[in-house]
Amino acid sequence: MVAPLYTTASGLLFHAGKILVVTIGLPARGKTHISRALERYLRWMGVKTQVVSLGDYRRKILGGTQKVPPDYFTLGEKSPETQELRKKVSEGCEKLIWEFFGNGGQVVIYDANNGTRKARLALAQKFDKAGIHVVLLETLCDNKEIIETNIRSVKISSPDYRGWDPDQAVQDYYKRIRDHEKYYETVTETTWPFIRIINVGEKIMVNNIQGYLQTRIVFFLMNIHNKFRTIYFARSGQSLIEHSYKADSDLSPAGWEYAERLKEFVLERRAKSLEQRGLSPQDRKLVIWTSTHRRAHHTAWPFLATAQASNIAEGLPMSSSPEPSSMLATPGQHMVSKIASPVLNVKVVEKPQMLEINPGIWDGLSPEQCKKYYPEDWERFLKDPYAFRAPRAESYHDLSVRLEPILIELEKEQEDLLIIGHASVIRCMLAYLIGLPASEIPAIEIARGDLLEVVPASYGVHSKAFHFWDGPGRRVLGDSDVGKNENNFYENYAEDTKGKRKVDTPIPPEGDLAGV
Amino acid sequence: MARSNSPTIPTLKVTDDLTRAAGVLQDMQAQGTLGHDDRFPNSPPALFGAGGPMLKRFDESTLASRIGSQAATPPQSVKGIGNKVAKPDYSESKIVLAMVGLPARGKSYLSNKLEVYLKWLEYDVKVFNVGQLRRTRARQKAKLSGIKEDHTASWFSHDNPEATESRERLAQDSLEMLINWLKEGGNVGIHDATNSTRSRRASIEERVSKEKGISLIFLESICNDPAIIAANVALKISSGDPDYKDTSPETAKQDFLRRISAYEKVYETITEPHLSYLRIVNVGSEVTMSRINGYLSSRIAFYLMNLHLKPRSIYLSRHGESQFNVEGKIGGDSLLSPRGMQYAEALPALVTDNIGDAPLTVWTSTLRRTIQTAHNLPYPKLTWKSLDELDAGVCDGMTYEQAYPDDFANRDEDKFNYRYRGGESYRDVVVRLEPVIMELERQENIIIIGHQAILRCLYAYFHYLPQADLPYIKIPLHTVIKLTPKAYGCDEERYALPIQAVDTHRPKPKAAQSVVVPNHGREYYAVEPVSSPIPVPSKN
Repeated sequence: MVAPLYTTASGLLFHAGKILVVTIGLPARGKTHISRALERYLRWMGVKTQVVSLGDYRRKILGGTQKVPPDYFTLGEKSPETQELRKKVSEGCEKLIWEFFGNGGQVVIYDANNGTRKARLALAQKFDKAGIHVVLLETLCDNKEIIETNIRSVKISSPDYRGWDPDQAVQDYYKRIRDHEKYYETVTETTWPFIRIINVGEKIMVNNIQGYLQTRIVFFLMNIHNKFRTIYFARSGQSLIEHSYKADSDLSPAGWEYAERLKEFVLERRAKSLEQRGLSPQDRKLVIWTSTHRRAHHTAWPFLATAQASNIAEGLPMSSSPEPSSMLATPGQHMVSKIASPVLNVKVVEKPQMLEINPGIWDGLSPEQCKKYYPEDWERFLKDPYAFRAPRAESYHDLSVRLEPILIELEKEQEDLLIIGHASVIRCMLAYLIGLPASEIPAIEIARGDLLEVVPASYGVHSKAFHFWDGPGRRVLGDSDVGKNENNFYENYAEDTKGKRKVDTPIPPEGDLAGV
Repeated sequence: MARSNSPTIPTLKVTDDLTRAAGVLQDMQAQGTLGHDDRFPNSPPALFGAGGPMLKRFDESTLASRIGSQAATPPQSVKGIGNKVAKPDYSESKIVLAMVGLPARGKSYLSNKLEVYLKWLEYDVKVFNVGQLRRTRARQKAKLSGIKEDHTASWFSHDNPEATESRERLAQDSLEMLINWLKEGGNVGIHDATNSTRSRRASIEERVSKEKGISLIFLESICNDPAIIAANVALKISSGDPDYKDTSPETAKQDFLRRISAYEKVYETITEPHLSYLRIVNVGSEVTMSRINGYLSSRIAFYLMNLHLKPRSIYLSRHGESQFNVEGKIGGDSLLSPRGMQYAEALPALVTDNIGDAPLTVWTSTLRRTIQTAHNLPYPKLTWKSLDELDAGVCDGMTYEQAYPDDFANRDEDKFNYRYRGGESYRDVVVRLEPVIMELERQENIIIIGHQAILRCLYAYFHYLPQADLPYIKIPLHTVIKLTPKAYGCDEERYALPIQAVDTHRPKPKAAQSVVVPNHGREYYAVEPVSSPIPVPSKN
């Protein structure tokens, strides 16, 4: 059977070899934010990635700020004891990096200040000699507001400042930055592959970047932003033939009701959460992405119908036909329908990349039938439901690769987004956003009738689930979990299933001080 | 990584279990329609295939479900095996992309590549070349009044006030034409001029800021590799630039170099911190992007970052003739026919003879017929799911005449827009292949062992062929197509191996076969003469 896409003999992905990303920048320049985001993205693509944070390591072995000598965070003259401590910390981190590479890891992001040229070049050369591609990633920031926000929202909640008065902690942190500034040397060593990000993506400079994975890293970094927005996910309504990809069936009566209910709930929920932030839904656009399957874009129909109705009520001309369907579209009729309305400003976009996972020759079969007719494939599927690809089908890894452009577009999008998707697609995208390992994707529970609300935050996202609907397609009458096979991920493979486990929505990791 | 070409066929025991199979499957078994896939002789057929019993029954129930629903529903969608789908709405994307750079720094190369890429993705793109406008106007002036303007280097000197004013006006007029064109529905208008001073850029910025919904990006191309500049100059002289029509190559070269130095005197690189810009040094080795916000803009930036100028070739070959080709069936995952196997055996010699010792990577799809065809090639191999053949959805595994015969004429008429039910249209395939194109631009020598529809889409990109013609491009079996990218367009060679194969090409019905001749040259005149002093959009 074909190996999963891009796996090489060494077990590394994308023929990209091993990569060490060395972050460079003063404290509070967003190094950790970028490192964590990159880690999440690469892990989601199936690449074994690890952030090694010098700050975390230092805290682990030395403790918080109060426990380190006063000259620890300055780069100038230090007492021999402090020098010894610093050496111990950086050597410890280096050891962690070597260990991760040694154990089959592919990408390490070394999250530390690395502010002096001599030290970072020594480090880069050491790894370069071992055949590891080194990429320097410098984050600069000359926007005082961004720095202040970063310190207030992230830094002073770090364990370093537990029990401190907030203003005092901010002052202490500024002092730490000032001490670093004296000795900070910006990157001028242009012989190394290097990326510089200024003011969280406002400006990006790229030099000598080669290789597939390195280029993906750059494109990802080009697209992330930190403006406030909300991403909603909901399943499409129940369709007439839930378990067939090919039939592309229309919504069932219950599916149509679901679509109405979804619209009401999303508008209500969105208004509430925007209000809490002092924003008005009227000033913001809601962009809806669906797949090209009928059950998905027909679920968005009530949004368009409502927008149209409010337009008529307002006596505004319609800017385009509200028909959301791509069926039998005549020339001139658009796949995208948009209606500008003071009440509901909504745009629906159909994306072929967002089709559900293709079950290949298993299309239309129940788990029992698959097992009966394709016993060998079935065994392999159970062993590795993420990477296994049935004949003509897609694995979850294939699906992730297909969805990758959508993910980049999702990162770039600044409007509020509602994704009306298939369970498999939502699984992949949610796993990325909340940072679940790829291998857990097939087990994520995405129940119909839940609205997932995801708000990107500093080092991850805040996510909540709201249950708004019960009915056919969520739970079959008399259905119970008794006697179900816990390892039967096929339940999750097709559309009509309910999944096995609840989504863990982990609390974002505690605020970390960037490595110092 | 590649699968062996004799896959193990799981031998399924037909047990008594089968007769106990529930529902539909039992019907299938009774009808004896099992065994369509050679690997799984006892597997059930696709339940919802166009020929299966389920699909029609199902369509009848769809209407009932809408009536049964209390909710308002959109008009009933099409039944059957597929439908035509309109182009996505890109009307919100409106970008002025203003080039910045000295002559012979690859501005036209970048704008040309970008135009091809975005048009392939169905954005409406047009290059407004100030040089073209200048020549076209001068030609008209010469025709009308008999006065021939002097366009040698002195015309480009900033010490020549009359010519400077004239050049200023040309740039403005061309920007007006561009903005008009954007307002009429264009997406990306490329202002191909040197735009080399801060004041020129400020005036462009001021003009565009008056238009709502149009964003402005500057694209600066810097080249400090003397070899590339020399090659660009040589290309300019030799490619029939009408400015140097009646001059000897040597005089032309001297004049052109003088023109460059006239620009160099006043050239100011972009340092204005508030502008959105993209700076590319030596085609991709060094890139700066500042204030690039929109999704389309960042995609443009990423595309341009991936370009390189190293000489290389891209080889395209379909898989050898497959069993399904012989039977006239579409889709499927069949193995090669005996003639297809002959092709797979002959292919390595053809390729190695052609490429010599140069490195080469083989890309295949995940389908068996391409992996089998590539099996003997002595190069590293990669399988791409994105290279799988166009998904024929419910029609997969059928002959064109089966199931819904009426609809095939419908599809043949407008294949690009036709999406198979539960499958794909050519447009969907183009969207799916976009990452492949991005990677191809980055790579060096590649041979793709692919499928008819996939290779049509890739071929159309490299030869800049319009979408409407794309599904009718002839990509015969047992033929290797070698594409060598040049500054403008691609050189092509075809090597047909003398191994017979069926012809799988389906011409467009009732239409004269349009022979699409790829244009390799650089255009030096705006196609439509601009006769009035008021700028009018030209059409080309």
